[in-house]
Amino acid sequence: MPSWPEQRTLIGSHAKRIDGPAKVSGAAKYASDVQPDGWLYGMVLRSKWPKAKITNINLEKALKIPGIKAAIMDRPGERTVRYYGEELAAVAGTTKQACLDALRIIDVEAKPLPFVVREQQAKEDSSPRVWDDTPNLSKPRVNEKGEVDKAFADCTAIAEGFYTTPVQLHHPLETHGNTVSWIEGELMAWSSTQGVSSVKDGFAGNLKVPQSQVRVVSEYMGGGFGSKFGQGVEGSLAARLSKEAKAPVKIFLTRFDEALAVGNRPSSFQKIKLGATADGKLQAFELESYGTAGIGSGGVSEGGGGGAEFPAPYIYTVPNIRVRQSGVNINAGSARAFRAPGHPTASFGMESIMDELAVKLNMDPVELRIKNDPSEVRRKEYQLGAERFGWKDKYKKPGTSTGPVKTGVGCAGATWGGGGQGTQAEARINPDGTVEIRCGTQDLGTGTRTLIALIAGDLLGLKPEQIAVRIGDTQYPPSGGSGGSTTAASVSPAIYDVCTKAKAELESKTGVSSGDAEKWSAACKKLGVEPLVVSGKWQQGLSSSGAGGVQFAEVEVDTETGFTRVKKITCVQDGGLIVSKLTCESQVNGGILMGIGYALYEERIMDDLSGVVLNPNFETYKLTGLADAPEIDILLLDMPERGVIGIGEPVTIPTASAVANAVANALGVRVGSLPITPARVLTALTGKSSSSPSA
Amino acid sequence: MKSFQYATAASPVSARELRGENGRYLAGGIDLLGEMKEYIAEPNILVNIKSLPGLNKIERGAQSWSIGTNVTIAELENHAELKSIFPGLQQAAAEVGSQQIRNVATVGGNLAQHSRCWYYRHRDIQCLKKGGDTCYARHGENKYHSLFTGNTCISPVVSNLSIILAALDATVTIQRGEKEVRLTIPELYAKAWDNPTSHHSLEPEDLVMKVEIPVQQRRSAYLQVSEKSAFDWALVSCAASAKADGGKLSQARVVLGAIANVPHQAQAANELLEGKVLDDSLANQVADVILAKAQPLSQNAYKIQIARTLIRRTLAQLKA
Amino acid sequence: MNDPNQGDGLIVSRRSFLKSFGTTAAAAATAQVDVVAQDLQKANTEKTYGPEAVPITLNVNGKSLNLRVEPRVTLLEALRNHSNLTGAKEVCDRATCGACTVLMNGTPIYSCSKLAIESQGHEITTVEGLATNGKLSNVQQAFIDQDGLMCGYCTPGFVMSVTALLQRTPRPTADQVKHACAGNLCRCGTYPRIMQAAFKAAGLPVASNSEVLSYAKLA
Repeated sequence: MPSWPEQRTLIGSHAKRIDGPAKVSGAAKYASDVQPDGWLYGMVLRSKWPKAKITNINLEKALKIPGIKAAIMDRPGERTVRYYGEELAAVAGTTKQACLDALRIIDVEAKPLPFVVREQQAKEDSSPRVWDDTPNLSKPRVNEKGEVDKAFADCTAIAEGFYTTPVQLHHPLETHGNTVSWIEGELMAWSSTQGVSSVKDGFAGNLKVPQSQVRVVSEYMGGGFGSKFGQGVEGSLAARLSKEAKAPVKIFLTRFDEALAVGNRPSSFQKIKLGATADGKLQAFELESYGTAGIGSGGVSEGGGGGAEFPAPYIYTVPNIRVRQSGVNINAGSARAFRAPGHPTASFGMESIMDELAVKLNMDPVELRIKNDPSEVRRKEYQLGAERFGWKDKYKKPGTSTGPVKTGVGCAGATWGGGGQGTQAEARINPDGTVEIRCGTQDLGTGTRTLIALIAGDLLGLKPEQIAVRIGDTQYPPSGGSGGSTTAASVSPAIYDVCTKAKAELESKTGVSSGDAEKWSAACKKLGVEPLVVSGKWQQGLSSSGAGGVQFAEVEVDTETGFTRVKKITCVQDGGLIVSKLTCESQVNGGILMGIGYALYEERIMDDLSGVVLNPNFETYKLTGLADAPEIDILLLDMPERGVIGIGEPVTIPTASAVANAVANALGVRVGSLPITPARVLTALTGKSSSSPSA
Repeated sequence: MKSFQYATAASPVSARELRGENGRYLAGGIDLLGEMKEYIAEPNILVNIKSLPGLNKIERGAQSWSIGTNVTIAELENHAELKSIFPGLQQAAAEVGSQQIRNVATVGGNLAQHSRCWYYRHRDIQCLKKGGDTCYARHGENKYHSLFTGNTCISPVVSNLSIILAALDATVTIQRGEKEVRLTIPELYAKAWDNPTSHHSLEPEDLVMKVEIPVQQRRSAYLQVSEKSAFDWALVSCAASAKADGGKLSQARVVLGAIANVPHQAQAANELLEGKVLDDSLANQVADVILAKAQPLSQNAYKIQIARTLIRRTLAQLKA
Repeated sequence: MNDPNQGDGLIVSRRSFLKSFGTTAAAAATAQVDVVAQDLQKANTEKTYGPEAVPITLNVNGKSLNLRVEPRVTLLEALRNHSNLTGAKEVCDRATCGACTVLMNGTPIYSCSKLAIESQGHEITTVEGLATNGKLSNVQQAFIDQDGLMCGYCTPGFVMSVTALLQRTPRPTADQVKHACAGNLCRCGTYPRIMQAAFKAAGLPVASNSEVLSYAKLA
């Protein structure tokens, strides 16, 4: 069974991100930057109707706009569109301006149909149906265990609550898109993607091109957070335009489009009841929820991150449960997997009710969690975190903070799968001693490149500068998509394997042992003219799945304005074998800051009357800014015996929950709806219902 | 954006000439280009007014400080003397957008900017302010909207500068045709009170020339509350100014922003403070008067609480 | 210089100017050169450009960029679509995110909200223009050292904002960094490290925000 070397120099170090220089200098070319010869600008025409029968799309006038080289429909004939922003057609031209003019002049004949964009309305029988032959509200998926009603009757303390979370948008800074070119019948695509293989498969299948004639490159990409798999409708449109125009076509979505049609995190409306005996042991849990994943929520999906369901009672052990979850269709864009799909939503409801129960039990919230958390690692993390955070000193009974600006603290825990498998890699050792590692994986800013360089460096006895890491190309040995926090655990063992094999083969081929730098040089020289090319793949024993993590939040709430400021987040996260410490810590920062956005600012807002997305921009869909960032204190637990595990997702799961608990602790009253805006805080303080999603 | 011609004006006369029937003046361009990118504005010519002579100066005269329309918000923010004389002005300027915006946005443009209502700004909604039939916000998503309006449109004034300048009794000089017209801040926005399609009282060919703030010994302060800590529109803003004589306030002005179609103040509230020493109870009475006729909608009642708090805190800054 | 408030005598409409003078250099030489130069400038100033593409010259990173663009083309579009300076990124195109930040005469602006035609005659600096002879600037190196980046798409914009800040304020406080960078967004969440990078580049002490503990060694 392979195992990581005991002596690790680069692995686990704070070595710098190897693509830093390219990114800070502007040299890094993203798919949105590449400019193949003769490239054309492309744009997508989208539906202005939330639901309509489209009877005709006339592209004639668009084709006459000077500079326009091609104009196509998304699909032929009549069709029904089901959300504001659904793709209708696309144009390609020599300038962006020509494309803008062309889009404005396309005639679309449409018969508007009744629509619904609000979950509470859509779930009623009286609501217009998104799909004619299916009720908007799915039959609930039910999960029962034990005898929940009897168990409640025996509980000493019961807490009940209603919690809601909004639809959240991924909003990676680089929008979705591809630059596509056909070269002698072969499709070449530069894609902003988390999965070059998924894009290749998508193009091949959708355009009926042999897979052997499709190449996808994603050398640098500007964020995905789960939404960038497959070629997308915009990718297919770019490819078809390119074929028609006989020139490369670049289609990257506008920020406006990103809010409409490329995925989101489903909303949730959760009615929860939780009961415990006097000793603090959870006995009974009941949850009824619904939420929307857009037009496709009606049937409860079986997982994969696109549906409105989530695990309940999340991380806690409760012997008697009844869980009923439904999805509700609305006329809005479909959900896509979004950083820990289901989990931040699950965590928010569960951790809120846990704190409410702690109050009823007159028990410390951390103590209640430790009592009911089956994970030894997390229990340890709560203890470590509480001490590091200063929980004992900071924690006060809810609402007892004095003065108009109240402080409060809260905590929450996370669980995630991750793990990895199935990656292949190739190592080329050149006679001059330099090394190329090739792997068809992706670096979303997650640090994959760096991780590869550090592992290769330690295993080959080299410095990162001597290793050229080549990723993001379907011409390289395949790897899985970068989702589910599986990249590090998939790629690391493959790099371990290929380097171990390469070193062994070098030594056997040259007869020189390649221990240190000098010896390495000597061995490589003996290769003569040809590089040594070695393949490797993922092996068991070097990675595992399962991550935990807990976070503590300290907030200040100005009860006279409703403004919430997160002062501090302490995160204790199990890191497994941490390969690249610097990039790992950055992931934690990132997950927490995204969680703060979920807690305080982010909410996709639909308009009932018109059916449009009302905030398709960064002005009113608000992302956490630098000034909003709290002090973040990270404690990473090095657990090399577990091998490489994932971290991208677990670190964003409990943040909003911890913040919400801290706010409730500060105020003595709970805001049960995210985001916790000044409006919602003030409403809660006046005793009115605070769980209406857009008030 | 729709295509357009571009020209730089050398004088207010030629600016008007170049503007013609369907042109717009281009200063900083942040607001105008934003509207044009959504096709809310489709001028056939943009007339650059940044080269108009003499309009980019901050000068102290005997009676008043003169701030040219083309002075950038950043210049205003960083002007040491203005900061010490009118701290509220600097505080308001510092909250405008981000530094990248302040570096190009102008005083005139800030005052003349158009509604930020998300229905108005939406390319596919023909709301009342754009000449349509319906104010979508009234029975729709109105958490950012006005508590006071004289007409059906509830889009609030969002210019930070308008609020503090109202509190400082500033006037705005505009070139209207052949004439120079001087407006108080209330006059500058009056048309937006009664008229749903107006953002202010400026006619399309009016050119803002300068702002003048009377020279006086006045304390001033400006505060706002937003959802984010920075680079966010105010939910409510408040500017206060007053003369202070041994702890007693006189000629006080308390103005609220983002809660009415115009900068909102109440003469009776200002008079309450005359000759008084400020305390919380008095501040609350002032708030009572200013907010007396507030008409909250389904989602913006919370603004009343924020307004009350800001009135008290902004006035408290005058004490210091 | 002409004062618009001084009455009709000095305000010359384009038509009357062209009647009274020729627009050639020879005609200019026969009159009071300064006044005529200013008036010539004025006349050219009031020339109407477009709507079709017109030639413009941009001074970017010390070099001249000669392009033909319509007046409606923004500086960002000129850089990204009409030349190969793709360092500045298009992320929102609405002056809300800072990814397009460039320096104009040392001042940070949103290039998405500046017309290319108006950017002439100014010194424009993009992220590609910061390194000297292949050596990264202080600020760029600090971003690498402190890992003030992840996917990197917001990075050029932040680097420009921090560069400009340190030129004005060589030893900024945390509040000054926040104020200078309020107009730049990062979705990956690198803010703590961007803050550290700004301090590092300024030669100020940098605090670390993390610790690694061996789980096995815990009691």
